[in-house]
Amino acid sequence: MRRLAFALALTVAVFALPASAMAEAVSSTRLIEAPALWDGHSITFTGEAIGEAMTRGDEVWLHLNDDAYAGETTEEGAALSGYNSGQAAVVSPELARAVTVFGDYRHRGDLVEVSGTFNAACAEHGGDMDIHVTALRVIRPGAAVEDPPETWKLALLAAAALFAAATGAAFAYRRSRI
Amino acid sequence: MMLRPTADDHRVIGLYTGKIVLGVGLLMVLPLVTALVFAEWDTAIDFGIGLLACFGVGFGLQAACVTTQELRRRHGLVIVSASWLLATVLGALPFYLSGHVSGYLDAMFDVMSGLTTTGLYLVQDLDHISNGMNMWRFVLTFAGGQGIIVIALTALFKGVGGGIYHLYSGEGKEDRLLPNVVQTARMIWVVSLGWLALGTTALTVSALALGQAPARAFLHGLWVFMGAFSTGGFAPQSFNTMWYHSLVFEVLCIIIFVAGSLNFAVHWAVWTGDRGELRRNVETRSFAVTLGLFALVTAIGLARAGVYPDALPFIRKSFYLVISGHTTTGFGTVYSRALVTQWGPLAMLGIIGAMVVGASSCSTAGGIKGIRVSIITKTFIEEIRRTLSPESAVISSRYHHLKDRTLRDTTVRSVMLITIAFLTMHALVTLAGVLSGYPLVDAAFDGVSAASNTGLSCGLVSPTMPGALKSIYVLAMWLGRMEFVAVFALFGWLWSVVKGQ
Repeated sequence: MRRLAFALALTVAVFALPASAMAEAVSSTRLIEAPALWDGHSITFTGEAIGEAMTRGDEVWLHLNDDAYAGETTEEGAALSGYNSGQAAVVSPELARAVTVFGDYRHRGDLVEVSGTFNAACAEHGGDMDIHVTALRVIRPGAAVEDPPETWKLALLAAAALFAAATGAAFAYRRSRI
Repeated sequence: MMLRPTADDHRVIGLYTGKIVLGVGLLMVLPLVTALVFAEWDTAIDFGIGLLACFGVGFGLQAACVTTQELRRRHGLVIVSASWLLATVLGALPFYLSGHVSGYLDAMFDVMSGLTTTGLYLVQDLDHISNGMNMWRFVLTFAGGQGIIVIALTALFKGVGGGIYHLYSGEGKEDRLLPNVVQTARMIWVVSLGWLALGTTALTVSALALGQAPARAFLHGLWVFMGAFSTGGFAPQSFNTMWYHSLVFEVLCIIIFVAGSLNFAVHWAVWTGDRGELRRNVETRSFAVTLGLFALVTAIGLARAGVYPDALPFIRKSFYLVISGHTTTGFGTVYSRALVTQWGPLAMLGIIGAMVVGASSCSTAGGIKGIRVSIITKTFIEEIRRTLSPESAVISSRYHHLKDRTLRDTTVRSVMLITIAFLTMHALVTLAGVLSGYPLVDAAFDGVSAASNTGLSCGLVSPTMPGALKSIYVLAMWLGRMEFVAVFALFGWLWSVVKGQ
């Protein structure tokens, strides 16, 4: 259900949003595989905000992942589907304020759509590949993620404790006999 | 005639391997505490299981192998190899239990990569991984950099028997800082922990200034230090060090990983007041020359590709990647695939060359090592001088490594043997990549990266790569870190069990 909602949100983001009407929606894979093709172009990019917003004066760095875990993290039960993949985006502090939840172990971050100019090797930012954002909106707010201990793991822990205690006792006994 | 090992020989190996496995279990206390501090209960249970499994195996081996026989040379190297194998198998448990890897082979790949300070990884959804699991990745790489045997010698061994030196040297560290090997191991930790305090503070302050919250700034400062000083290359986020977008942070990383790539004996000489050693040592001189050479090749390749028209980004990106490759660190400030899609084959060849050579012996770094490259170069020059001189002339070469030394045939022979073994391994892992269907340059880049314990990738290494290739990379990382001898000693031991008399 969560995946379906995510897919719907992405579809809406790609096809129906005025902020991105003039710019093509592009994935991080397409950008990284053909950076020269997209360099200097206006694009729309959608991904999960991860980590944190790093504010540097009048600029904020955001990292947006558009990988298989953007809709559902591994801790929520997402099937493993490869590495994370995303893009770095430079936004103004005013726009960045809209993003409040960042993805990590305990959170699925806000799903964010940004529009702006893609730079394959941004001279302004030390040659980094980035997107200079002119419009941003949160498509789906992030949420806290629970990862409760699993029962079978508790049983395995007890078995490991017994194993360690048994071998520890055997070792102490053998050493005392030397 | 090959002698079959006696039951007592097996007991000595089991006893000391058990002690070292116990040490690996103790290392898991750090991620366990981290998980508890951040209330990551599921992760804490994963490490509880891992720790108890290490204790169970460690105590079990010691209980089964009680002996009074002394540790000898023939045991030392086998113990090192067996310990690294067991550490990899048991250290993989928390990775596997976390649910972030596709199978146990992937989990072992990451542990071997961490312990050998390679930095390639197969863990998936890294950006949602727990702090406890991230701590384990960096503890592995930091401990592996100093050597798990060094840790055991520091904490668990009291004796100074003849075989202890072979435990120490089996991890690829031959220089003794002090006459006693156990004291040498402790001094390695004094140097490393001194750098840990300084480096973590500098990186944490920098991360705070870059906009990270205090707790994350500290964790990132600590982890990036561990990844840098151990020339490991693991980073807390999937973006690697591109995450920080900061020249200052990159310069700090370079200072730390260059320091980590220096011979511990050179560190010790500098710490004890002999600063001239840094300038005179043949390895630091060799490093400067080869760094210049490979930086030039990479720069030409990058200039042809025309990716960075401005001077500062051009220098910043190319120098960072080359020095990261040369120190066998593996930190990157570009996407892995950008090496193929933006940098091109010539720039990649420049970095491959840097990775092949590697950094200093008796350091955390991998590769052939500067001292071997220097000795081969000096031998080559000596032969040219001999050819051009009268037959009666006595030609000899000298070099400075901690003291002035004369180049001897026995030294050249052992250097050539290891160098040929490294070059053969690089060729074989590249061939394995090509046979698996990858382009030659990509196969050479990631294959050399694994075998030289670097960790840079152009995108070949991934969870979907063939299982056979993953296994070959695990073996290559292990062989590269052990510099072949200890691994061959283990195989020889197994062979003598079967065929010995």
